[in-house]
Amino acid sequence: MSAVIKDVAQQPQTLVCLRNLNKHYGDFAAVDNISLDIQDGEFLTFLGSSGSGKSTTLSMLAGFETPSSGEILVSGKSLVNVPPHKRDIGMVFQRYSLFPHLSVRDNIAFPLAIRKLAAAERNKRVDAMLKLVQLDQFAHRRPSQLSGGQQQRVAIARALVYEPRILLMDEPLGALDKKLREDLQDELRQLHRRLGITIVYVTHDQEEAMRLSQRIAIFSHGKIVGLGSGYDLYQNPPNAFVASFLGNSNFLRLKAQGNAVATFEGQLLSIRLTAGLQTGQDTLLMIRPEKAQALSVEQAAAQPLQTGWNEVSAKVGEVLFLGESQTCAVLTQGGTAMTVKALSAAGMPLKTGEQVRVRWATADACVYTQWAESDLNKAAGAH
Amino acid sequence: MLLTPNAMSPRLRWGLYSVTGLIALFLLLPIVFIVLLSFGSSQWLVFPPPGWTLKWYQQFFNNPEWMAAAFASLKVAVLTTIFAVALGLPTAFALVRGRFPGRDMLYGIFTLPMIVPLVIIAVAVYALFLKLGYTGTLFSFVVSHVIVALPFTIISIINSLKLFDQSIEDAAVICGASRIQAVFKVTFPGIRPGMVAGALFAFLVSWDEVVLSVMMASPNLQTLPVKMWTTLRQDLTPVIAVASTLLIALSVLVMFIAATLRRRNEARMPS
Ligand SMILES: Nc1ncnc2c1ncn2[C@@H]1O[C@H](COP(=O)(O)OP(=O)(O)OP(=O)(O)O)[C@@H](O)[C@H]1O
Ligand SMILES: [Mg+2]
Repeated sequence: MSAVIKDVAQQPQTLVCLRNLNKHYGDFAAVDNISLDIQDGEFLTFLGSSGSGKSTTLSMLAGFETPSSGEILVSGKSLVNVPPHKRDIGMVFQRYSLFPHLSVRDNIAFPLAIRKLAAAERNKRVDAMLKLVQLDQFAHRRPSQLSGGQQQRVAIARALVYEPRILLMDEPLGALDKKLREDLQDELRQLHRRLGITIVYVTHDQEEAMRLSQRIAIFSHGKIVGLGSGYDLYQNPPNAFVASFLGNSNFLRLKAQGNAVATFEGQLLSIRLTAGLQTGQDTLLMIRPEKAQALSVEQAAAQPLQTGWNEVSAKVGEVLFLGESQTCAVLTQGGTAMTVKALSAAGMPLKTGEQVRVRWATADACVYTQWAESDLNKAAGAH
Repeated sequence: MLLTPNAMSPRLRWGLYSVTGLIALFLLLPIVFIVLLSFGSSQWLVFPPPGWTLKWYQQFFNNPEWMAAAFASLKVAVLTTIFAVALGLPTAFALVRGRFPGRDMLYGIFTLPMIVPLVIIAVAVYALFLKLGYTGTLFSFVVSHVIVALPFTIISIINSLKLFDQSIEDAAVICGASRIQAVFKVTFPGIRPGMVAGALFAFLVSWDEVVLSVMMASPNLQTLPVKMWTTLRQDLTPVIAVASTLLIALSVLVMFIAATLRRRNEARMPS
């Protein structure tokens, strides 16, 4: 995964530039001063909760919404005054939006017919598309005679047939069930690899975003609050909001004592070296549940704490078996709730009420100095 | 739920069936009556007819006045249909898609002719055309008919436009079609049932309109219902029954076409 990103990074060809983009509805900023560079050929996903401005941003790219202010550049040229039908962008909508009165074949041929392509060339391209999305046998059906997954494949073929440089997809798999969604995700990833097209994808499904994209832009309240590969955003979230939004997280409230040490409930902990920390400053530590370990008192005694690791004492609340993994909810002496997650194979022989030692590596815990209380609350992402 | 036919006692069920049957008969009886009379041999519209004949039909089709009236009716109805759809289509788009202050009020104004008593509209339009000197012209017929037909056309187009997913039109635009092209190539086919229904409504409204037409009529231009009305006041001839039968026949035909189109459409686009 990171190899792909390095490749892109080596030849950073910016295809689309969003510059201080705003969209206001009355007083309400649906998109709030977004700036973003989209690389040529990358698969970028807008991820965010409902109402965070993902679709509005995509609509401005497509040209259905006019920005209140700001610029959209493609290959350096402004798109703001180009009407949507001249932007040469492909788009796939959530509800497929196929033309109900046309056959599958005519749906896919529509963009070429509009462009007045010669019949022979048109047929050739449509045939290739039908093959690409594996719908050759369904060419003469009407959209209403196809399943949801097949309809969405027609929509993808229709968006690709005129070879646009950019493909926009607004929750294209949202209406499909889980199994079909995963199949189509795989197809989509292969398609992207094969065609090298730039894809901007909208979803509010984290797993989908991780599975598909090279980079993810995390939206909240009309702003991009995190941008990077899924790996980086998850392992090193740029802020507490992204940390709590992506996956699960434990937050510990510390008071800094220098640049690499802080106190937690009166106990000294080592933290990542963080420039500019003032002694006594409120600091937030974020540890992913799977980066923490919960050891029984005996285990802890048998395994001395390695350097670069921290340990706090806690009491087991609840142990949950989730199949592949197990989670253990604990409460520290000072009353901070934490969750520890381990693979079932590794085993976590703990019981409710037992004393445990929770350990983590200093390098695995992120340090934040600025956050809002609502950032720590997963549900607070939406408007 | 309790009143589904199967859950009812047989007696109640048959009771309901007969009441329904009686109501249907009550509604149909005048029509059946007039159709039978048009084929009856009695000059004085005796019922039951003493014998059967096509004499009155012959008289109808051989009378230039009746034929002129029938032709005028057809011409007015077709023109009314064309104008009602041509005006109703953009109006429906504006009322559904438009975002402007006073949109709901405008909707109210456009549908007002459905609520206001016809006589009032008729008097108003008559007064206007009298002043302009347009009474008795084809123009005045069509304009007055369009006024009363338009609400029906607009409402049926609005209904199908509201059901039409606008992202389908957006998809056509992003595929390279201009907004106008997208509307013609994708949206119109999508709302065709509503357009056809609206057109048929307009046709029917005009075809059997009598209140406005009586006011607009002149000796050299009158529609079939007007001709029936004026003839009726002079003498009672079975030719009127013929005219009624033809009037009804065309209306039934139009309704039949509408039903067939709707059924075909539902079969083609489930959900
Ligand atoms: N035409 C409009 N008028 C007023 N407010 C609007 C309009 N369109 C969108 N909004 C508001 O802008 C905000 C962003 O909407 P947007 O559709 O971009 O959200 P989203 O991130 O795509 O959410 P979802 O995941 O639910 O699709 C929402 O709060 C929405 O209510
Ligand atoms: Mg959306």
